[in-house]
Amino acid sequence: MTSRARLFKEYKEVHREKGGDNDIQLTCDDTNIYRWTAYIKGPVDTPYQEGVFQLAINVPEQYPLVPPQVRFVTKIFHPNVHFKTGEICLDILKTAWSPAWTLQSVCRAVIALLAHPEADSPLNCDAGNLLRSGDNRGYRSMSQMYTRLCAVHPNAGRPNSS
Amino acid sequence: MDTETGGEKERPRDDEIQAFHNQIRAADAEKLEFVGDKEPLSVLEDEYKAGSAVFLAKLQILKENYGSIRRARGDGNCFFRSFMFSYLEHLIVTQDEAEIARVEKSIEICKQTLIDLGHAEFTFEDFLGIFVEQLQSVIQGKETSISLDTLVERCRDQYVSNYVVMFFRFVTSGEIRRRAEFFEPFIQGMSNMSVVQFCRSSVEPMGEESDHVHITALSDALGVPVRVVYLDQSGDINDKPVTVNNHDFIPEGMDTSVDPYVILLYRPGHYDILYRRENPANVEPTILEQKN
Repeated sequence: MTSRARLFKEYKEVHREKGGDNDIQLTCDDTNIYRWTAYIKGPVDTPYQEGVFQLAINVPEQYPLVPPQVRFVTKIFHPNVHFKTGEICLDILKTAWSPAWTLQSVCRAVIALLAHPEADSPLNCDAGNLLRSGDNRGYRSMSQMYTRLCAVHPNAGRPNSS
Repeated sequence: MDTETGGEKERPRDDEIQAFHNQIRAADAEKLEFVGDKEPLSVLEDEYKAGSAVFLAKLQILKENYGSIRRARGDGNCFFRSFMFSYLEHLIVTQDEAEIARVEKSIEICKQTLIDLGHAEFTFEDFLGIFVEQLQSVIQGKETSISLDTLVERCRDQYVSNYVVMFFRFVTSGEIRRRAEFFEPFIQGMSNMSVVQFCRSSVEPMGEESDHVHITALSDALGVPVRVVYLDQSGDINDKPVTVNNHDFIPEGMDTSVDPYVILLYRPGHYDILYRRENPANVEPTILEQKN
């Protein structure tokens, strides 16, 4: 299976570069190379700063011809993340996917999305509406609140039970 | 504030969308293989019987030099898929070992280009490997040799076909970015995107359609001359003579009089493989001429 071979290469690469990227901690399920977990740090100068967010990554058999499925496990208030399911609206995870991306670079793209919310075509309409109406303060306070509630130690990276 | 609303309850999940997408593709596959069988050019006449006069007039001109077509599935990868089959078929027919050695050198350079551009080798080496495997199997008399029929099968195989298409996409993207200054005006002219954005959104993802920029880049990078014959509505039936436009993509450093290894028929939005007539001198009288 080529997807398996490719994932082993990514696995090796992640271990070789351990410590290289402090903002991303990517681990593979002990028993299933198609299931990965990532912990990403909220970027500085954003409402997600100091938060650590857990991502669940599900890799399909046809990977890397098709994208991995990535969703937030940690609750997050962001226009492009579904508030309930954690689904992410990001072009490279849909139509703009190419095998040039890796699980590691996908995590980097998700971090970039946190710093650059796209208020048009939001998955979280409330967050989108705040940004679109220019209520930056409202957006920041909501997203900061959820970061503190769900993504900052000691709850860091744990799924919110609400 | 109630952050739980938004009316997205009915929205399908990602995997449901993917499953639906696969279903559509499977339905398409039943209609036409990635590459079809070789068919006489007259099948197009039947197709356009009720079509525009310009189209029919051009078809007649086309028949003077070309005899058959082989269709590629219209899934956005038709240029790359047609290129793959046409080039490998050219090699099977000519048994040109020197050409294979030459293109393998070009592939090495493409590989270095991608590494220089910051791609990790493991992201593209599987795709490269599959293409090289096909190249090495077209020369006859070896244990790994394949027949033309097997080549057809392989180009219809989801795995082989898509992996080679993806390799070409990597090569095309690498060449465009390596010569960003050259390609930039063309890209700006049609899309308003930067070179990097263009490669990321219109070259690297599967299913993104190709045009001049892609063809130029792939032809240059691999050193393979390509002819595109345009069958479109341009021109007026009352302007005689109606002409069929050709464009030869000749890689730098190659003699411009070279006979292209790959000949493609372009109809707006789609590429198929085109074949020269076996005996171009002997043209049957055409419907149009009979009418006139």
